[in-house]
Amino acid sequence: MILKSKRLFYLLCLLLFLLIMLLSPLYTSDYFLILVSNILMYIVLTVSWTIFSGPTGYISLAPAAFFGIGIYTSAIMGSQFSLPVILATGAAAAFCCALLVGMVTLRLQGIYFTIFTFGLVELLGEVVQWWEVNVTGTTGRIVPGTEYTTVYYTMLGIAVVLMLTAYIIKHSRYGLALQSIGEYEEAAGHTGVNVTALKIVSFAVSALFMGACGVIMATRWTYIDPSIAFNPLFSFLPVLMAIFGGVAHLFGPVIGAVIFSYLEEFLTTQFPYYYMLIFGVILVIAIVYLPTGLTGLIRKLGGRLRRRHANT
Amino acid sequence: MIETILNVVVDGLLIGGIYALIAVGLSLQYGVAKVLNIAHGEFIMLGGFITWTSYKVFGINPLLSVAICGPLIFVLGFVLHLALFKRIRMTSETEGAFEGNSMLACFGLMFIIQNVAILIWGAGIKGYSYLGFPVSFGGGAVFPANRLTTLAVAVIICIVFYLFLSRSHMGKGIRAAAQDPDTAQLVGVDINRVLALCFGFGALMAGLAGTLVSMCYKVEPTMGLEYTIIAIIVVVLGGMGSILGSFLGGILLGLIGSLVSHIEPGLTLASFYLIFMILLLVKPTGIFGK
Amino acid sequence: MFGKKFFFGLIFFMIAVLFVSSPCLAKDKIVIGQPFSLSGPLASGAASSSGPFYKLWVKQVNADGGIYVEEYGKKLPVELIRYDDKSDVGTMTKLLEKLILEDEVDFIFPPWSTAMLYAAAPICNKHGYILIGGAGGAVKLKDLDLPYFFQVLNDAETQMPELAEIFADIGVKSAAVVYRGDLHGIEYSEFSIPEFKEKGIEVKMQQSYSPGIKDMSSLMKKAKSKNVDAFVVHDYPGATMLGTSQAMELGINFKALHFNVGPCFTFYPNTFGSEVVEGVIGCGAWNGKSTPGAQDLIDRFNKNMDQKMPDYWGGLFYYSSLQHFRQAIEEAGTLDQEKIRDVMASKTYKTDLGDFWYNEDRIFTNHPGQIGQWQNGVFEVIDTGEKRTAEPIYPKPKWPGKKKK
Repeated sequence: MILKSKRLFYLLCLLLFLLIMLLSPLYTSDYFLILVSNILMYIVLTVSWTIFSGPTGYISLAPAAFFGIGIYTSAIMGSQFSLPVILATGAAAAFCCALLVGMVTLRLQGIYFTIFTFGLVELLGEVVQWWEVNVTGTTGRIVPGTEYTTVYYTMLGIAVVLMLTAYIIKHSRYGLALQSIGEYEEAAGHTGVNVTALKIVSFAVSALFMGACGVIMATRWTYIDPSIAFNPLFSFLPVLMAIFGGVAHLFGPVIGAVIFSYLEEFLTTQFPYYYMLIFGVILVIAIVYLPTGLTGLIRKLGGRLRRRHANT
Repeated sequence: MIETILNVVVDGLLIGGIYALIAVGLSLQYGVAKVLNIAHGEFIMLGGFITWTSYKVFGINPLLSVAICGPLIFVLGFVLHLALFKRIRMTSETEGAFEGNSMLACFGLMFIIQNVAILIWGAGIKGYSYLGFPVSFGGGAVFPANRLTTLAVAVIICIVFYLFLSRSHMGKGIRAAAQDPDTAQLVGVDINRVLALCFGFGALMAGLAGTLVSMCYKVEPTMGLEYTIIAIIVVVLGGMGSILGSFLGGILLGLIGSLVSHIEPGLTLASFYLIFMILLLVKPTGIFGK
Repeated sequence: MFGKKFFFGLIFFMIAVLFVSSPCLAKDKIVIGQPFSLSGPLASGAASSSGPFYKLWVKQVNADGGIYVEEYGKKLPVELIRYDDKSDVGTMTKLLEKLILEDEVDFIFPPWSTAMLYAAAPICNKHGYILIGGAGGAVKLKDLDLPYFFQVLNDAETQMPELAEIFADIGVKSAAVVYRGDLHGIEYSEFSIPEFKEKGIEVKMQQSYSPGIKDMSSLMKKAKSKNVDAFVVHDYPGATMLGTSQAMELGINFKALHFNVGPCFTFYPNTFGSEVVEGVIGCGAWNGKSTPGAQDLIDRFNKNMDQKMPDYWGGLFYYSSLQHFRQAIEEAGTLDQEKIRDVMASKTYKTDLGDFWYNEDRIFTNHPGQIGQWQNGVFEVIDTGEKRTAEPIYPKPKWPGKKKK
């Protein structure tokens, strides 16, 4: 009974928060929307990374590849098509690419998988570059811009759908199966789930959201070329944000993304000459002293408090 | 035709020597200490800048600055491992978690080292010219003196290092730690010290590579990542953790690069990535691995 | 235990961050915002070229007490706010809009590199902010037709015809053109190759390569085997440094050796020594002899900045465009972008490079030079016509070889 009402309370809080987010363009400034869209971008990248890499423990450095595919789709289809069509295409392209990558990397374990996915980002960048130079004859592309509110709502929409998807996967038997892959892959087969297919599909689903995210972000960037689209930074940042927030809980990556993207905004503007130094130090400290992330720490602190409470 | 082939081979060997030296340090760090050092290129950059400073400001011969650069960067690597990676190793539950966490910590290190370098040396491009003249061995074949020196030094360093690992007492400890950390600990090897030494030696190799790289290429604070990527490719090619493999892998990559750039220069890097990814899929232990 | 302390520290830090107020904008100064690559791959280029000139200008304006704005009846000092865009276009656009929308700065100075300019120009235009192009510029950018964008630097469209002209003049018969496979390289090759052909220079070899090139020896050997007079490289400083050192190491000498970006910077002769780079040709260009004001700019730069004059391509362009900008503000007597824009688009002012004005497409055309060549430690302008400061050296002298000590 208590559990049920508690859950209801959380749900109401979430809905209220969503309502505030939905209405915010009415009463906030344009820059607030830009800032929040940017934070939402990191949330989408981070949470979608966590769908696959969180439970399985396979550290993928491919986000920039799928994000870049979205960006390039947006740049190529740009002015001829409407946004929903481009979104669908970009997401589908990323999904298909991830399916393919997932299929070929099945055998790869641990660090080999990580390196492979990192190579993928660089390879795609190089190939697109070569293609643009030798086939289309140019490399830079202008992306037609859209309204701030369009970007904001699209991003919000993607984020909401993503959160729902992540929640459903996590609390289904597929989520459990994914978790068991991370713990003991051979045993995961006994849970009655097709582990191979599950791995590939969840990898592709995470790529789908990254692709969609790229499509919409490209309209904010106005100009892109292969090195801009396939920037390895967008592989590392989501991973760092997720680890910083903690991957065990769904809200860990969200917290990590919010804090990191805000931190980045603060440092690049207030301490532009020391941005990397401060950011790097925080990163290192976070990894050394928060191996389970912020949510892990909160849970630990919460547990300690509760115990103290019980003692008195 | 024969001349062309010879040219391709020589160019490949000369650049391969540099690739090999770049990669050996990373191979050691990953192979024994299990740290995939994304900041490897930053240590190369530091080596380059130290050499640049000692040559341009104090007039010290770049080859001699190996003696300054090596110990400095070794200490840096050694201390870093004791302060950072040792702790991460203790707090990480599995080896996989350690590999992931230490890689991300290296990413943070990369940011820190780059920023510090910008603060010390400024963001601008630096360079110097040393032994920048052709050497002829008769028969019309001409070789660049600095790259020839680089190749020779790289070979010497790799051999010395290989002998050190296979013959010396400390080297045997390192190899034991690499193969079986738990047993090594049981027989009285101070595993943390050995791992820190390893990381330090890896950094040292990167520093020396930086010295040699600065003799052939420009130096700037943001140059690290491209060398890190090359190092990773070579290490995969030669098999992770194998010093000899990395050396041969470097030479091989140099030859491949030279061949591809002879045919279609636009695809040199793409071919690197493609080969390395295919190899990861087909034979993750590397061409020379078991 | 440390983890907990650290965590609370972090939370405290975050809260502190939240309450840092944005800069207050009372009209006692003119605030100029600039998203700039202070870290990341573009940082080294940015610091070696246009970066210091904006700072010098701010310093000099404030030494005069500021810019006189009639609207306020007084001289307003200038403050330059720089944000680090991490060499990432996405971050740059975000920071640019922060400067415009949130900080509400009075003016915007440009980010670094052509791609960044491409991304910034439409945004500034949309918000009605003047953008004076700094380092970068491409022919394609002019097609966008943005009324608030002013192109300052010269590009392939004017430089490559001049290079062809010079080559024809000094007697180059054949050339090899190699270029970086990106916007920069492609655009320059699209201008240089037809111009060479038109002037009767045979292009015996043309080849693009991937941007991260680490070995140019095979390209140079190939060109040498075709026995070309001129070796032309369209690329950025990385390839310039690489190409120069490899040509020197292999003893491969061409009668004319051209690199686009790189020779114009002083780190180039500083790296190799001025006797080595003697005769190397590059895009640019200006030097102390170009105009009376040019030498003065060099002196002022060397005196006021903690480095020596770094840039003999854009340096004079950037600084003069800012001098023009200042006079336009003073004439407009207001900080209103539209009025200043109209003045800028129509008026000619005296600057360090002489008369400075924009044509009807808002492009600056009175360039002090297109092509330069290192001669005795000076980057001489070798354009045909009156801009020339020295006769071109042809053929280029041999590499000095082994240094005598």
